[in-house]
Amino acid sequence: MLVVRPIAPADLPSLERLAGEAVPRLTNLPAHRDRLEERIARSRQAFAAAVECPGDEHYTFVLEDLARGEVAGTATVRAQAGAQDAYYTYRQETLIHASQQLNVRREVQTLALSHEVSEASLLCAYSLAPRYRGTSAESLLRRARLMLIAQYPERFATLLAMAFPGFLDDTGQSPFWNSVGQHFFVRDFEEINYLAGVRSKSFIAEVMPQFPLYLPLLTPQARAAIGREHPEHEFALAEMLAEGFQRSRHVDIFDAGPVIKAERERLQSFRRAAWHPVRIRPAHTLPDAEPAMVANQRLADFRCVVARYALSPTGQLMLSPEHAQVLGVEEGRAVLAAPLALPGGEDGSVEAHDTGYDEGEL
Amino acid sequence: MRIRPIAEGDLEELQALARETGVGFTSLPDNRDFLAAKITATEEAFLERTPPGRRNYFFVLEDETSGQLAGCCAIEGEVGREVPFYHYRLGTLAHSSVQLDLHRTIDTLFLCSDHTGNAEVASLFLRPAYRGSDRRGERNGALLSMVRWLFMAEFRDRFPEKVLAEMRGVFDEQGRSPFWHCLGSHFFPMDFDEADRLTGLGQKSFIGELMPKYPIYTPFLSDEARACIGQVHEQTRPALAMLKKEGLRWEGFVDIFDGGPTVEAYIDDVRGVRLSRRCTVTVDPTLDEAGERPRWLAATTEMAHFRAAWVGRGPDTEGCLRLSPPEAARLEIEAGATLRILDTEEEA
Repeated sequence: MLVVRPIAPADLPSLERLAGEAVPRLTNLPAHRDRLEERIARSRQAFAAAVECPGDEHYTFVLEDLARGEVAGTATVRAQAGAQDAYYTYRQETLIHASQQLNVRREVQTLALSHEVSEASLLCAYSLAPRYRGTSAESLLRRARLMLIAQYPERFATLLAMAFPGFLDDTGQSPFWNSVGQHFFVRDFEEINYLAGVRSKSFIAEVMPQFPLYLPLLTPQARAAIGREHPEHEFALAEMLAEGFQRSRHVDIFDAGPVIKAERERLQSFRRAAWHPVRIRPAHTLPDAEPAMVANQRLADFRCVVARYALSPTGQLMLSPEHAQVLGVEEGRAVLAAPLALPGGEDGSVEAHDTGYDEGEL
Repeated sequence: MRIRPIAEGDLEELQALARETGVGFTSLPDNRDFLAAKITATEEAFLERTPPGRRNYFFVLEDETSGQLAGCCAIEGEVGREVPFYHYRLGTLAHSSVQLDLHRTIDTLFLCSDHTGNAEVASLFLRPAYRGSDRRGERNGALLSMVRWLFMAEFRDRFPEKVLAEMRGVFDEQGRSPFWHCLGSHFFPMDFDEADRLTGLGQKSFIGELMPKYPIYTPFLSDEARACIGQVHEQTRPALAMLKKEGLRWEGFVDIFDGGPTVEAYIDDVRGVRLSRRCTVTVDPTLDEAGERPRWLAATTEMAHFRAAWVGRGPDTEGCLRLSPPEAARLEIEAGATLRILDTEEEA
């Protein structure tokens, strides 16, 4: 059985392994023991703190495979993307250059540094062990965070954002970095990415060019990478778009990976989540039903599993004793459940569909 | 050879000049209406019928024996008063971080109109047949270039504090500007010649409308384009050298189309302005010009009848200048007239 729970100090070796296994390496999950230890401590503080409004809390989760007794994945929510320092993105903008005299009108694309995403809650630092990729574990780990946010809305911003690793070529080079950041840092992408993770991304951003960049002056390879996700993250992006996230005008300042965003109330998992009292029944007697994420009602002891969405005629969620035990719920207690499958696919598999750019802010 | 303001009747000759100048010489487009208007405007300017800031003083170099025009030059009273006058200013931004052990400076091009209100020396062109020194050692190029300092010195109160000169930038063997190709072409739906032509016609508002307003980080430009920044066309090097000798300096401003340098100076600091002085003329029919070398530049002091030419000698200790009758005729003056004279070889 797989369960998502808050990270614990004993998870450090697993976290270190997962940081090293992330493809590509993640800025906000550097394989650096001291930073990871801090990450765990910071998460435990966040889960323990009395919070009335989102601040600099980082909530880090792990996915545990109870049968194998190993930690299979990790993911984080930052209550505010840029609480202590600004969260930098490049915002894609269109400037109209028109001349009545010449009767011409030109649209010129620019990238401008922006702090607009700083206020949003950020889903980030996702890494899953290779053997679990392509299974429902992937969706569970990614979206269990939404099940916590749904229960503790005051701890998070109403706007959620998620940044995806950007496009890298066959040799692991970022065409965007090579055309932009390289000029200013004279360091390769991998190195700067690691530095940003170990130190902080914003202090590097402060050295980034502060004036907007004109896209026509970038290499064609760099332009093509803007807003394009790393191939390993295509499914993840498609799933979150199906969840209700939308592409934004923002991209990562290093690799131009896409930033997606959503008003949380619009997300499928929020809209379809429902409270159900628990009825415990032996596993073999449970009726067949669609898979659902099921979460308990606790903060520091938060647990979320995938179970059958089997409802009794009176609206009780029928759980096996094993699931009930992992969730720490007794008969009659309420749990929050939301279907794992999203519109457009079955069993959590989502067809890639592009909802296009939103027209509003962020 | 002598310098005089362009006049009615010069249109044919002026258009012939314009045809010879070619691409990159924005101020003299081969456009008859434009040139005719230029002549009219010049007449108004020399008669001081227009405000000093709006004047364009357009001079021609004339072979007074044949009446043929050999070249031209101009002074703009104040640039940027009627249409915006744009430049890129090459600036430096430090990108520095102690934590990253990073210290790097990035060159940046800022679009600006910093020179608004400055005078401009411009439009210098000398027909190939008249280049170099003639048999008497008269340097026509130097005459065209330096006459403007005499004019500005004589009529100093008509001019502002500073003067600038835009130098033609680098073009490759195919006549293409690498700077334009890399930068301007992205923003202007036209080729360089067309942009250049419109600019020459004074229709510059499109520049402000289409040009990128944010600074350009030069690392985003190609190596070829970067190499053009502040560099002059091969044929422009002698003209630049002459201006530099007068004290004009490159302060980091470049042309927005071809990246060529703009040099500038405070007018009072320009060598030719500082060293020129007035003298009184006597005409001496017995003057023997044999063996003289024309290193003195003389100009008349009445704007409407401005003339300038080389003369074979400087004033004596009393400030009196002896001229031969042909020299006086060339300048259209008589004994007793006041001239402004510059020893072009005097050390600053």
